[in-house]
Amino acid sequence: MLLSGVDRNRRLLTAAAGIVLAAVMGLVLIAGFRLATQIRANVGTLQQASELEAYPSAISEQLTALRQRLDTLEYTGHVHGELASSVRGFNRDFTALEHQKGIDPTAMRAAVALWTNYTPVLAKVLSYHGEPYSDTATNSSLSRSGRVFYAHVRRAELFAQANAAALHRELAVVSASLQARTAAAASRLRWLLSGGVLAVLLLGLAAAYLQVARGRGERAARDAQDQTRDILATVREGFFLLDADYRIGAVWSQALTTMFGRGDFAGLTFEELLRDKVPTETLNTAMKFIKLLWGERAHENLMKSINPLGQLEVTMDNGRGGKETRYLQFDFHRVMGPKGVKHVLCAVGDITSSVMLTRELHEAQENAHSQIDMMVGMLHSDPLQLGSFLDSASAGLKHVNAILKEPARTHAEFSKKLSGLARELHSMKGEAAALNLMSIAQRVHHLEDMLAELKARSELTGNDFLPLVLKLDELLAHLRGVREMTLKLSSLREQPSPADGTLSTPALRVPTAGPEELASTLQSLAHKLAEDHGKDFKLALSGLAQCPPAYLGMLKDCLIQMLRNAAVHGIEANEVRRAGAKSGGGQVRVDFRRVESGYELTFEDDGAGLSPEALKEAAVRKKLLSEEQAAQLDNRAALALIFKPGFSTRNEVSMDAGRGAGMDVVAKAVYGLGGRIGVSTNPGRYTRFKIALPALGETAVA
Amino acid sequence: MDTVQDTGARRTVKLLIVDDSNIVRRRIERSQQFDDLQVVGTAANGLEALELARRTNPDLVTMDLTMPQMDGIECITQLVQMKPEVRILVISALADKATAVEAMERGANGFLNKPFTDRQLNEAIAELMY
Repeated sequence: MLLSGVDRNRRLLTAAAGIVLAAVMGLVLIAGFRLATQIRANVGTLQQASELEAYPSAISEQLTALRQRLDTLEYTGHVHGELASSVRGFNRDFTALEHQKGIDPTAMRAAVALWTNYTPVLAKVLSYHGEPYSDTATNSSLSRSGRVFYAHVRRAELFAQANAAALHRELAVVSASLQARTAAAASRLRWLLSGGVLAVLLLGLAAAYLQVARGRGERAARDAQDQTRDILATVREGFFLLDADYRIGAVWSQALTTMFGRGDFAGLTFEELLRDKVPTETLNTAMKFIKLLWGERAHENLMKSINPLGQLEVTMDNGRGGKETRYLQFDFHRVMGPKGVKHVLCAVGDITSSVMLTRELHEAQENAHSQIDMMVGMLHSDPLQLGSFLDSASAGLKHVNAILKEPARTHAEFSKKLSGLARELHSMKGEAAALNLMSIAQRVHHLEDMLAELKARSELTGNDFLPLVLKLDELLAHLRGVREMTLKLSSLREQPSPADGTLSTPALRVPTAGPEELASTLQSLAHKLAEDHGKDFKLALSGLAQCPPAYLGMLKDCLIQMLRNAAVHGIEANEVRRAGAKSGGGQVRVDFRRVESGYELTFEDDGAGLSPEALKEAAVRKKLLSEEQAAQLDNRAALALIFKPGFSTRNEVSMDAGRGAGMDVVAKAVYGLGGRIGVSTNPGRYTRFKIALPALGETAVA
Repeated sequence: MDTVQDTGARRTVKLLIVDDSNIVRRRIERSQQFDDLQVVGTAANGLEALELARRTNPDLVTMDLTMPQMDGIECITQLVQMKPEVRILVISALADKATAVEAMERGANGFLNKPFTDRQLNEAIAELMY
């Protein structure tokens, strides 16, 4: 395609050479013909001239012969006739010669002058008619007229003898000049022919050269075509041209075939190319965009900035009966012709791997962030607390494992298993969140999601628990990682100080969390909950120091759960609080004190309170009660619903509440220690939980 | 002779700025660096823009797309019907390419993404008007 211009020029040159060749040959032929004609005429004239040369001496001899015959009285008739014929012939030829071109004019003039002198002398001889002798029978003597004739002949003989040489000389010069002229013409013809032959040779050479060059050009064009084909077969981008009807041209790059899984692109419209591979809406936008490319408003940069196909998600058959998603990048370049846009060149790249890479990078970044977050969280938390959490989490997971190993056959048994797992995991999540160990909390949350899904099934088998086991293994591995990191961190903290060089206590201590740690855990959890849920409240703690170590673990579990409930259900959003004429921030009060019968924990928030009717409705919705049963409950019994397993008033599941495992855990723990739990509320004003725990040593009695 | 030279100068280009954000409107007004560009009005939504366009007969309109009452797409459609020769530069934060294509199809002449630099704004205006 690129060579067409050169090719055309070469063809023009060849044609021009042919025309010049023909013209030169024509000219040579015409000139040669004219020269030949001229030479032919000259040759005739030359012959006449050389014949003329013989006449003067012939005339002279004939006159002498005539005079001798008259002397000897012989017959003169035939000699007289010959002389007359000679003179006639000379006259004829000489007159013809006079009008020929190229004759030496001086010699010709001299010859004419001489001949003019001849004419009267000869005329007198030739004009004689009759018998020169007196007696015709014997020719005895000259008659009177014979004597006159004799005198004329004698004079003419003498004249001719005197002038023949001169006339012959002049005629020879004339003849020589004619000869020279003929020779010149012949020489010209020779040159002309030589020139003609040379021109033919040169033109032949030029034609041969052009032919060779043309062959070379054609080969180059073929090579170029081959190269274009190779480029199109090898390039990794899909290239094609679109015409004004948005149809694909006859040439496209091979990469398109693998990208679109077809090979019939020629004549295909752009719409047909993408149909069934992208959503209709995207296709419509793409077609509008391509239409715009043909408009005069489409500047390259503008069109690039609004190109909707820069990262196009397409769904393709993967050739194995399934579908796969790929990402294609379309670039458009306008090809301008003399009448505006001629084509649009489309370049398609498969950017699937780069899109995937970007995603993976993003995920890896998120992962790294969460790891860093976790490390920062660990740095900020007390190593003792961390240790105690990890211990209790390990114990919890062991318990989970034990639950999973319990034999179960009936649906009820599986259900019970699930409830047990849910309770265990829920408290683990609460503690992880309290310690800001979000990576653990998220994993547990995920496990809870799986549990919830299992719970929703009507039929359960042992196999359904398998994914759960895998996920638990993953969580265990993660916990081990966290523990290792904790050890490293604590060994960092316990490095011998360079100042005194003494070794401090070994890194691992028995993690027993005291009331102070509990207080700080609760405060940090409160802070985090407030942040996460956009609530504004303060946590006031009192009397925790009086808690005996034996109750501390249970107290922690219960308080974390109740604090979470208060933050999610109890304390209202700020706007709601202002509308209800409450003070700006909410208040959560925790009071632990010794009482006569043992210990009493009061947990109170000044939030929305509980609505017995709402609780009943929720219980019915959760199918914990039938409508009839619910209708029979009084307010006290309705409030007690929140201690029932599987109860929650929130519909959507969040990390901190809504799974219905909330107060159920608390109540179970309290009952486990022989305590009691009660709730009182004033809708719109407060919710108060009171937990009574037996004095230590009295447990067995109670 | 001076008067002859004066008539050779470019005529004033009347600019109408349409954006629901007061800050963006002022930003465009201050950032444009053309001596012969005269801001004839600013509008906060499509309806105001059409009314102002009717009164002030602008040559160039900078158009936001997401606006209350009447959005940019609708406004472009009506503006082009009312004044086919008006040049419209869409200035929008929309990353959605489909909307940009839609705006161009309805008759917009240029597209500038928010946030933009002074230089980008002036180049976009120059490309449309000169």
